[in-house]
Amino acid sequence: MNKKKWFAVVLTGLFALTLLAGCGNSGKETLNLYSWVDNFDEDMIKKFEEENNVKVNYTNFANNEELLAKLKAGGADYDLIQPSDYMVASMIKQDLLEPLDLNNIPNFQYVTDRFKNPEYDPDNKYSIIYTSGVTGIAYNKKYVTEEPKHWEDLWNAKYKGKVLLLDDNREVIGMSLKKAGKSNSSTNDEEISAAVDDLRNLVPNVLAFDTDSIKQKMIAEEGWIAMMWSGDAAFTQAENPDIEFVVPEEGSTIWSDNYAIPKGAKNKALAEKFINFMLDPQNSAKNYESIGYSNPVTEAKQYQSEEYNNNHMINLTDDELGRTEWLLDVGDKIQMYDRFWSELKSGR
Amino acid sequence: MKSNTLNRKNPLLSIHSFLMMAFIYIPVIVIIVYSFNDSRLSMSWEGFTFDWYLSLLDNRNVMEALKNSLIIALTSTIVSTVLGTMAAIAMRKLMSKSKGAIAGLLYMPIVVPDIIMGLSLLVLFSQLGLDLGKTTVIIAHITFSISYVYVIVSSRMANMGNQLEEAASDLGATQWETFRYVVLPSIWPGVIAGALIAFTLSIDDFLISFFVAGPNSSTLPIYIYSSVKRGISPEINALCTIMILVSVALIILAQWLLNRGNREEKKTSMLPF
Repeated sequence: MNKKKWFAVVLTGLFALTLLAGCGNSGKETLNLYSWVDNFDEDMIKKFEEENNVKVNYTNFANNEELLAKLKAGGADYDLIQPSDYMVASMIKQDLLEPLDLNNIPNFQYVTDRFKNPEYDPDNKYSIIYTSGVTGIAYNKKYVTEEPKHWEDLWNAKYKGKVLLLDDNREVIGMSLKKAGKSNSSTNDEEISAAVDDLRNLVPNVLAFDTDSIKQKMIAEEGWIAMMWSGDAAFTQAENPDIEFVVPEEGSTIWSDNYAIPKGAKNKALAEKFINFMLDPQNSAKNYESIGYSNPVTEAKQYQSEEYNNNHMINLTDDELGRTEWLLDVGDKIQMYDRFWSELKSGR
Repeated sequence: MKSNTLNRKNPLLSIHSFLMMAFIYIPVIVIIVYSFNDSRLSMSWEGFTFDWYLSLLDNRNVMEALKNSLIIALTSTIVSTVLGTMAAIAMRKLMSKSKGAIAGLLYMPIVVPDIIMGLSLLVLFSQLGLDLGKTTVIIAHITFSISYVYVIVSSRMANMGNQLEEAASDLGATQWETFRYVVLPSIWPGVIAGALIAFTLSIDDFLISFFVAGPNSSTLPIYIYSSVKRGISPEINALCTIMILVSVALIILAQWLLNRGNREEKKTSMLPF
């Protein structure tokens, strides 16, 4: 072969490869889903793909801020995303979401009333709930013999060095505010600093501020009593049956993950179809049971196993949910939360 | 020999090196050991199992990420090896004063922090209106791999000398024939070593991919990163173990190829980083 031919062959090969890489899927319609890791049952995704002859591209983010950054940078064509409650509010404010057409999502009727029309997205204009959880107290019966009923119990001197807190300023300061009977999204300077002063007295009891491995620390019994999300508590209880969970009487914080469609999504109709599919009572029963989160579709109860239905941490009572509050945007006061938080953690 | 006597004379030195090695390798060893742990929690040891490796095979998301990683690594390796080798050859012929400056530019991506590479590529892609996806990740990986291939191939060429090429042209070989039958065979180990390094870097890269990835382009490192939030399951340990083993194997192969080529000249060269 002469020089020219050789180069021609190499170049053609390269172009072919790049093209191949560029379009891996064979012309099928695709739904680009961007969500948390393992947030859906794989079989349900497969079922959706088969029923509609489409492909679901499921990519993951690790936190809401990463999701926001990806959307704002532009260029990434996601059709369906799953932001948490406060992130929905912030995305609406920044005009990053496409309004949903609820006519295309008839199964929305099955969502329990409590989770319709949430404060962060009135009238469900932009989002529909996917799952939710509540911050409460997880404790180990072996060491904490009396059932804790109040946040106050974390302050008990008996638990010195055995208390675990979430590593999250809004959650922890919000908890202290709830303890004092205030809103967890207070913007009142005095309320906030009183709550932080109170937390300073809790610090000697604290083993760690930890969100990511708090479950391991409870299971290994390094910590006796912890501020924990209900879903994580269900997971720890499955591993260590001595662990129990309560939602304190003065109330606590609730969070949710939601479906939303980013502005300019190419496959909006397919994304809505997917939401509708997942909200179908039978489908949702299968999906939520497999991933182990709370199902907002109450009609699904009849299709779910006893074991799932009886798990208190997944199916919180109306009474417990009734005393919870969403974390709302606190505007500029977030700087105050941030400053107090770093002071608190550095022990000043 | 010299180092042996040093060791015998100075026990502190061997203690020091042992501690350094432990510091570097203990985290890796822990990951490998716990990938065989028969418990969903990384904390306590409950017995030996291969289950996590098997369940990896069943995990559609892991397989998808693996497929993406391989497509991206193969494509970017081929392109960057060709371009990097061409750059090395061109630079050798270059006599101009600007040679140093151009060589510096070629080294640059090795020195520039990944986060800046990632960010600048992201800005570039969105300015160009290019949709983020596999193509953008491949372009990004080619960008940084070229430098590594260039460095390895040109260090190989530095050992080659001009005589062979001159002899070939004296004997009537065309430029192309000289390249094809004289230059290429003698730099071949360097080219392959460069390709292996490029492949390893592409498979391992997180930061740059993280910035420029879009739908349908999650690589293994990105998948691992987003899984950690859920608690580190032994499945992730198993995945990391496989990645470590593959990377180590490729690096050893690259090193071996570089030295095999050099042995005739009684020189050993280490990878330059």
